[in-house]
Amino acid sequence: MRALGRWGRRHANLLFLLPALILIVFLTVYPLVRVFYLSLYRYNPIRRIERFVGLGNYRRLFADRFFLTGLRNTFLFSVGATLIEVLLGLGLALLFNAKFRGRKLLLPLVIFPMMFSTMVICAIWRSMYHYDYGIFNYALRTAGFQPVKWLISQDLALWSVMLVDIWQWTPMAFLILLAGLQSIPGELYEAARVDGATGARLFRHVTLPLLRNHIFLALLLRSIDTFKIFDKVYALTGGGPGTATETISFYIYREGFRYFNMGRASAAAVVMFLAVSVVSFIYIRQVWRGEG
Amino acid sequence: MVRKIFLMFLFLLCVAALALPKEKLVIAGRDGGYGAALQIAVDLFMERNPDVEIELLKLPYKGLYEKLVIDLSAGGGAYDIVMLDDPWATEFMSLGWLAPLEELGYTPDPDFVPTALSVCRYPYPDGTLYALPHVGNVELFAYRKDLFAKYGLASPPKTWADVLEAAAVISANEPGVYGVVFRGRKGNPIVTGFLPILWGFGADIVKDGEVVLNSKEAVAALKFFLLLKQYAPEGVEIWNSSEVKEALLAGDAAIAIEVWPAWVPDLDNPEKSKVVGKVEIAPAPGLVEKSSPMLGAWLLGISSASRNKELALEFLKFVTSAEIQKVLTLKAGHAPTRVSVLTDPEVVAKYRWFPSQLAALEAAVPRPRVLVWSEIEGILGEYLQLALIGELSPEKALAEAAGRIAEVLGD
Repeated sequence: MRALGRWGRRHANLLFLLPALILIVFLTVYPLVRVFYLSLYRYNPIRRIERFVGLGNYRRLFADRFFLTGLRNTFLFSVGATLIEVLLGLGLALLFNAKFRGRKLLLPLVIFPMMFSTMVICAIWRSMYHYDYGIFNYALRTAGFQPVKWLISQDLALWSVMLVDIWQWTPMAFLILLAGLQSIPGELYEAARVDGATGARLFRHVTLPLLRNHIFLALLLRSIDTFKIFDKVYALTGGGPGTATETISFYIYREGFRYFNMGRASAAAVVMFLAVSVVSFIYIRQVWRGEG
Repeated sequence: MVRKIFLMFLFLLCVAALALPKEKLVIAGRDGGYGAALQIAVDLFMERNPDVEIELLKLPYKGLYEKLVIDLSAGGGAYDIVMLDDPWATEFMSLGWLAPLEELGYTPDPDFVPTALSVCRYPYPDGTLYALPHVGNVELFAYRKDLFAKYGLASPPKTWADVLEAAAVISANEPGVYGVVFRGRKGNPIVTGFLPILWGFGADIVKDGEVVLNSKEAVAALKFFLLLKQYAPEGVEIWNSSEVKEALLAGDAAIAIEVWPAWVPDLDNPEKSKVVGKVEIAPAPGLVEKSSPMLGAWLLGISSASRNKELALEFLKFVTSAEIQKVLTLKAGHAPTRVSVLTDPEVVAKYRWFPSQLAALEAAVPRPRVLVWSEIEGILGEYLQLALIGELSPEKALAEAAGRIAEVLGD
């Protein structure tokens, strides 16, 4: 410390942060600024096209049926998957917070889906969803029902993709909420019981308020993750049928890495960035308010 | 003691020096059957040239284009030899990503089927040679000759109208058999499935650098495609080649408008197929125009950034030679690009449809030779599917697609 001199001593905390700051500037701030900058250009590095178009890319985006459907689908997917995952996770967490036989054995089983590679999961679900040979439709036919067009129907495909996400990521919401439940001191429940509270009232007035921040954390993490939905769409439907499972990430991928229209891809990325920022901001404010 | 250690060290250094100077090639190739066939050639080459080491990367089709473009455009030189789908050729060649072969001392062999060799040249069809035709893929048409005979249908169907009639008759009379199957998945699959129909109706996507997709003929072709769909299975809009193949092998399909040489041999393999000897392979039917099967050749080129171009050329010559193509064809069901191999009696005895395959290859039409094919294909693939699922009328789908394609070409 002595070698640092007076200035160094005064600003030592800053110096310790410096390596991390430099990393953040290069890996996060620079790409972010560059994406904003590129979104104002018609830029295709492969075809060596580079010209300023102002807001042209954005105007084009909001006139593009594929982007608009993608935007709508992404919101639907994100809200739907997040809510269901957190609700199911809450149910599971409450179940596992109670003591019952076989709990130790069942816990790893419940978080199992999280541990597989998404591509492997999708390959398996794709075969299970198959209209003629898949196990779901086989079961339905055996039971005397009509087969379901899981990935084929335009109205159903997005929900089928969502179901895979719910299966895979509910365990994550579950783990966060279970951790939250287990951090609630038992004395609080005892005190509430002494005051005459039971069942639903315990849950409503003790569990829920204390679990609030964990619920918001689970909502935040799952919203951000589901908003980026790409891998499952890529592997299950390729964005089809029609535009039924088109999402913003998929649109960005196609414009950016298949057609190398980096300007248009950047403009779409900016729209996505703004949307995620707004959602994150709302959640984080909720959490802060809870703490204040 | 010190001396002993020093001597040991020297000895080790010599061993290392002897082991090191192997020449090395890296090939970016395809996975699956294509990879297996190329691996046989790689192993044979290394056996005959023990001082050469070849690493063959077996990459899936999804993502291969992106990987190649990113490395080649940056001049990274990660790959010495690249395997490319023929519609990418114009882009790769015109941007100088591949080494001109004649400059390296290669003279093309007249034994190659002309259509397959001409897509290796830029400008198309008789410019500089930048690659060699490795896989002689061409879209083939498959139909169940037993069912066609049962209902007295024209065999082989000469025109697309015959195909529609056959699909209708068989659908109506053979429960559990789909009249027709094809790849309806958006993007590359649906475009590939539709192109022989589009061309057969006398329409085209791009002609002399101008979009001609918004034509009466193209609309008629798309309307015909929708008519065919009535006799296709539920969910054909997300079918890719594996579904088409499964349906044919299981005997569930009477007609497949698009099958590929890579997996046609399975149809006669009793372990996989319930229809051994019952499926006939023919070139795609015509209508207004003559039969226009789509060329889907895979080419091998040398990266401009390769540091081992001479050796790479040696390997290219080796793998495309008549001797090796015959080995690959017999052992791995490779689709040859040489007339002498396609007509070799031993080969034809094993693969009965090779005369049809040669005829299709000679009549094959390549996809438009434009720089931006992958974007055009993407756009067309999106709109064709919107028409197929009934979200847009054929007229509107083609008009919108033509507008977007014109915008891409105009840049």
